[in-house]
Amino acid sequence: MPREVNRVADADEPAPTRGSVVVPVESTPTLRATVTHLVESAADGEFSSIHFVVFATWRRDDPDIADRETSIDRLLERVSTWAEADLADVDGADVDDVEVVTAVVGADEYLFGADDYVRELSAYADEHGAETVVLDPEYTPVGNTTLLQPLEFALSSTDLAVRKAPVTRPSRGERLRKEATGIRFAATFGLSLAFYLALGDPLYWFDLASGVASAAIVAITLSRISLDADPSLSRTPVRLLRGAVYVPVLLFEILKSNLVVARVILDPRLPIDPTLNRIRVIVGSGLPVTTLANSITLTPGTLTVRARDGNLYVHSLIPWAREGLFDGSLERWTRFVFYGREAARLPTPRERDDIGIFQGPDATEEYPGARSDGGTRGEDDPVADGSADDDDAGGVTTE
Amino acid sequence: MIDAIGPVRLALVVAFSLLGLFFTFVSMTGVIRLPDVYSRAHTASQADTLGAGFTLAAVAIAAGWEGAGFKSLLLVFFIFVTNPTAAHAIARAAFEEGIVPWTEGDERR
Repeated sequence: MPREVNRVADADEPAPTRGSVVVPVESTPTLRATVTHLVESAADGEFSSIHFVVFATWRRDDPDIADRETSIDRLLERVSTWAEADLADVDGADVDDVEVVTAVVGADEYLFGADDYVRELSAYADEHGAETVVLDPEYTPVGNTTLLQPLEFALSSTDLAVRKAPVTRPSRGERLRKEATGIRFAATFGLSLAFYLALGDPLYWFDLASGVASAAIVAITLSRISLDADPSLSRTPVRLLRGAVYVPVLLFEILKSNLVVARVILDPRLPIDPTLNRIRVIVGSGLPVTTLANSITLTPGTLTVRARDGNLYVHSLIPWAREGLFDGSLERWTRFVFYGREAARLPTPRERDDIGIFQGPDATEEYPGARSDGGTRGEDDPVADGSADDDDAGGVTTE
Repeated sequence: MIDAIGPVRLALVVAFSLLGLFFTFVSMTGVIRLPDVYSRAHTASQADTLGAGFTLAAVAIAAGWEGAGFKSLLLVFFIFVTNPTAAHAIARAAFEEGIVPWTEGDERR
């Protein structure tokens, strides 16, 4: 799919000083991977600041631009959330002082063709001392499907170094099958063997032999699926310790909610009021979001239905459970477990306005269903925030 | 039995078994009483997590730290990981099938 025209100008020679990079973005299936690629490059010391920019397709004084501005703000917000999560996930010497900037360019005039885009891009790059432009391979600004080629061509006339992010559209198979590495194999093998011997007798030769065989089978078949990154020797023990702090907290939450929900179930006079809700969570993809989604599901009264585009769709049984969800304590705890105490200090989803209710009298958004039941609600239009069309390209999956 | 584990542990075993029974009963009631697949998935998995959790905790206390007790703790861990996963799978399948969650005022189904 990505055309192999990577015009590697002089981008590959690492600059002596770490520069800035400008990345024009729009909502594409490869955007998520492009963000990760940039964060990894930055962590490797290539860039010190990443500028994600969106071209405005309007002029500042156009009427009715509020909607378009909102959708662009959401896009940029999503991109910086992803970048932040990736920064927390990658290892790298320079990861601590990588700066992520988002901007809207070109709101001063209408942009008609590649030359206009390039002019705006160069002006922005000059202003911020950027020497490199990285393009999302599926980037086609304003729906112009033929623009990328001329954009690359037009960029070559500037003194900006241009390259395309080496990413491809995610497919189900690829998402599940990650690279096999020795470390992942060893980790899976060791963990399986330890578990086997904990159940059996570590001193009995038969248990040892069958344990090694079973662990080998598990490691061969599953090491690429169960670990999506090499376990880090420095972070894993800390995370396990913080996880051990989290477990009693979670147990208490479960017990508390269980009593409230049990009361509602057992007492016919207390009505239930279930709704489907949306909450945009700021945790990394993979294990962190799975932990959060499972914690939400474990807590009675809330059930994670879907992870889509950085959002969790959560079904709540009673308003009490929904309000607890919007207070975001589980999200903060998950961030504490994976990223530490600093990262846990963030506004609640309610304060961030990262929430939505799809149903009932308090509904704030249209029901995003796959298909409607033909009754009272909207048809099969999966628009939640204007970008839900790239369903599985989002930052989170719970598989 | 009392001789084997002493009165304190026996009391704990009885208490935890009763708690386990209570939450399993809640879970069962919920499955019968609640109106649709999503709300049933709530109670079928979650109240049950605590029901099975307390029952297994009772087993662990009765069996002691050796052998069976340790294994039942591993089972608790297993249930706490797999139960929400199964509930999510059910809810997600229902969502992808286009089943809209029941809300107040809808017919029971």
